[in-house]
Amino acid sequence: MENGLTVRKKEEMSIMEKLRILSDAAKYDVSCSSSGVGRRGDGTGIGNTLAAGICHSFGADGRCISLLKILFTNECIYDCKYCINRKSNDVPRASFTPDEICELTIQFYRRNYIEGLFLSSGILYSPTYTMELIYEAVYKLRTLHRFQGYIHVKAIPGADPELVRQMGLLADRMSVNLELPTAEGLKQLAPNKHRRNILWPMRQIQQGITQNKNEIMVYKHAPSFVPAGQSTQMIVGATPESDYQIMTVAENLYKKFDLKRVYYSAFVSVNVDKSLPALPEGPPLLREHRLYQADWLLRFYGFEAGELLSEKKPNFNVLLDPKADWALRHLEQFPVEINRADYRIILRVPGIGVKSAQRIVRARRNGNLGFDDLKKIGVVLKRALYFITCNGRMMYPTKLEENYIARNLIDRKEKLPFDRDGMTYRQLSLFDDAACQW
Amino acid sequence: MEEYYLSCEDSLEGVFTGIYDAYLKKKPHEQIHICVGEEENYRLFAVYETCLPDAKKTASVARTIVREFGQEAYLSICRALASREMDKGEAVYKAVVAGFAMKNKKELMGNLSNPYIHRVFEMARFTANEAHYHVEFLRFKELENGILYAVIGPKNNVLTFIVPHFADRLPLENFVIHDEKRDIYAVHPAKKDWYLVCGDEETGRPERRCSDGERKYSELFSCFFHTIAIKERESYGLQRNMLPIRYREYMTEFQENEKYKK
Repeated sequence: MENGLTVRKKEEMSIMEKLRILSDAAKYDVSCSSSGVGRRGDGTGIGNTLAAGICHSFGADGRCISLLKILFTNECIYDCKYCINRKSNDVPRASFTPDEICELTIQFYRRNYIEGLFLSSGILYSPTYTMELIYEAVYKLRTLHRFQGYIHVKAIPGADPELVRQMGLLADRMSVNLELPTAEGLKQLAPNKHRRNILWPMRQIQQGITQNKNEIMVYKHAPSFVPAGQSTQMIVGATPESDYQIMTVAENLYKKFDLKRVYYSAFVSVNVDKSLPALPEGPPLLREHRLYQADWLLRFYGFEAGELLSEKKPNFNVLLDPKADWALRHLEQFPVEINRADYRIILRVPGIGVKSAQRIVRARRNGNLGFDDLKKIGVVLKRALYFITCNGRMMYPTKLEENYIARNLIDRKEKLPFDRDGMTYRQLSLFDDAACQW
Repeated sequence: MEEYYLSCEDSLEGVFTGIYDAYLKKKPHEQIHICVGEEENYRLFAVYETCLPDAKKTASVARTIVREFGQEAYLSICRALASREMDKGEAVYKAVVAGFAMKNKKELMGNLSNPYIHRVFEMARFTANEAHYHVEFLRFKELENGILYAVIGPKNNVLTFIVPHFADRLPLENFVIHDEKRDIYAVHPAKKDWYLVCGDEETGRPERRCSDGERKYSELFSCFFHTIAIKERESYGLQRNMLPIRYREYMTEFQENEKYKK
């Protein structure tokens, strides 16, 4: 496949050029979190990790830069229609060597540019061959350079399971991309990939994690397997699935595969292809935002996908966030009394987040709370006032009526509300003092 | 009614000594106030006293706070005292007084409906958040002699909160973090414990030359920083929310970005 000419050309390519090509090719991977595992340095090498994760910079698109996100190579034998690196595209190709990856990671890390390495790759020759290359790089980094920072590695579907197992003992997080929410979509857009092959390594990693937890219970120093858990991502808007289908898939992944995170990636049209939708208005960012809001509701607020959406109402409300939307459809459960209601009920009030709810439950032990106190605690009263009472009173006399409240909740400025109600790309930013370890 | 104002040094020791002295007075606490630093507007009919920081008194107050209110409250108080706000002494003092009146003293920081405790909570949160920002956005440069050198300019005195993190992370490196607003340095010699050094005004700021590798890696990172952004999703407002502009003057990727802009 490689003739002499391309090999020579690769040798001449500078590391700067490679970094440009291979980070440009990796940027569509969403996951950048460095969270999920807290590990102190052992004093013999370099690095530690923080359970909350650390973002080190934010790019022009406002996404966090936490890990050195690169591909090992952007050569690929597959021809997935949505992917910039597909076989049939004529783009400059490059490959790192394991030593170059180690050098970049260590030198960036000691200057506090990054929190660790995110290594993915196009498929060179075969999944197993590619996985071996990745393994070599990560192995060198962990043993030769004694790097103890965060490493996130892609498990490549179809690679030798033993290799995936070995990889899991070195990496903090592994992920297998689901690519598209349904098997039909995958068949249509990624002819070389099969749903079964994707779910298989996901199951393997899940079982590895469970087994490892049992081992650690018995042998304290057993090496840990993917301690920060696994994640996945799917593209939204390239195929015609509804939000309800997507949320159901996500819920299943959380429940049945114990995933740490599911990422949603608004489809960015990089290739011209007749089977891809044209998106003249740019990527469906608002839809992606609503999905993330709902994802948070599943993971931190005790909601279920079936409560937010249904077959009859398969898509999220464009104007209202999913929590407010749910509350408006369940006005019979409101208003709730802040000084008495259960924590789980308080969590469901629009305008009250996890942190505020915890503070309320704690603060009310020392006396009744009024609206002033709620404001200090961090409750967004503008949103919450329709749904709560303090000591039996509402803040203002308001009607408990769906249309009236909806009119008041809709924020006309909310076009692309990335910075609102705690829903951003920042890791765990809904905890405004997540930094309490300092 | 006589009012007492104890003016303390702007430090943890200063305020803790002030609290000790306030309790020594055996007067109602409403009549005693603690102010930090120089008082600008003196009040009529008030008695002003200066407290000099005292190690024994400080240790005693610290011990009491940990014993009575627990580690969480102690940490919050330490963070609040690193704040730039001038009412921090009074807030901490009155929060401690309020804490002794509580049934469950370990719940001190949960009692947010008390205005003084809430003020301590606010200041502690600001310091903790700013410390976290510095852990994220601080950038080291490698000097000619191999030392990693970083400059920060925080609003609150966060230096002591962030150094342990870097000491754990880079045990084999010699590094220095310089708070240029307060002119203090945290120095970490390789494989040894770190310590603080106060700047010397007379020597000024010597020109520090970077190593050869420094230029290469800062350029590589700037290149990475620009290629990793997705053009179709560009959102400078979001970037500004996540990465406030005041941090950028210290950050490598914003210092030499002109060349790499697409």
